[in-house]
Amino acid sequence: MIPGLLQILFFQGLGEIISKLLLPFLPGPVIGLVLLLLWLMYLKDINTSLASVADTFSRYLGLLFVPAAVGIILFIPQLQQNALTIVTALIMSVVFAALSSALVLRWLSPDHPSTSESSAQAKDQHD
Amino acid sequence: MTESKSIIEIWVYLSGSPLLALFLTLASYQTGLWVYQKSNHNPLANPLIITIALITTSLHFIGMSYEKYFQGAQFIHFLLGSATVALAIPIYRGIHELRGRLFPLLLALCTGGLVSIFSSVGLCTLMGADQAITGAFYAKSVTAPIAMGIAERIGSSPTLTAVFAVLTGITGSVLVPLILNAIDFKAWWQRGFIIGIVSHGIGTSRAFSINTEAGTYASLAMGLHGILGALTVPFIYKLLNP
Repeated sequence: MIPGLLQILFFQGLGEIISKLLLPFLPGPVIGLVLLLLWLMYLKDINTSLASVADTFSRYLGLLFVPAAVGIILFIPQLQQNALTIVTALIMSVVFAALSSALVLRWLSPDHPSTSESSAQAKDQHD
Repeated sequence: MTESKSIIEIWVYLSGSPLLALFLTLASYQTGLWVYQKSNHNPLANPLIITIALITTSLHFIGMSYEKYFQGAQFIHFLLGSATVALAIPIYRGIHELRGRLFPLLLALCTGGLVSIFSSVGLCTLMGADQAITGAFYAKSVTAPIAMGIAERIGSSPTLTAVFAVLTGITGSVLVPLILNAIDFKAWWQRGFIIGIVSHGIGTSRAFSINTEAGTYASLAMGLHGILGALTVPFIYKLLNP
């Protein structure tokens, strides 16, 4: 697990340096992500140590933003005042985003057997 | 007398060290996960919401300020950057799936991402929300760790952004399957990709539990949406807040 963690810290550091010096509008970790992705595409392989670190992170990803999210207690008055707006914006943006992206995906990929085959399979499983 | 005094001394010592904040965070998270599993993975019993509710209640009860809590919990917070870098692995695993479908998938991703930002920020502005609230909606459409990084860059609250991102994930994992059923959207790879765009981490883990193909496409979409968000949100923010 240590070699995997070292690789991630290395790319994170590289990302932070590039963010500081060249691309201040991009968060360092995102640059690190892209660099690591390019490196993996060049290697065409993920070593097991890196894979196990990444899987551990993604399994407990939620835990990592708990300390920041608890800061919500500092915003309670604003949240109460804007509750209706927040709920509306959250729900409507989800509905619009899902509908628009789904329709674009359907219009642009007419060649695959989306509805016929899979729905037939789904029906079979139900019967 | 001496006994109660020593208890107070221990308490003062503990509340000054990171131990208490770390223990509280992990214990609350473990409880949240436990409730979530007991509820049969109901998205409304989201482990994060339970965790945050438990911690905020405990902090109130023991009279610890958020600043003090964060001093201890920052050791967990630090790993967020590393976890963001590690998102490269699920993207890499899904990236060969883009072959032959690159154009439709990327265009769907851009559409979903932009519609999500403009509709939520537009609604907030129309309904006259606080500046802090509206600012936090810019980056909330992408997965929380990346959303917080973007929020820092555009000068809005990373905390509110993270909370809205998690709420978006929960809303999406409830609503998106219903929407996709309503418009007769059945292929697993397409369903997974839309779920990943809209309801990032929470939707993705649900997608994996239902179908592996859907999960692969969902985590691919989640990662790509994060990169797209980091690239575009600062410019959209500048455009709308000159």
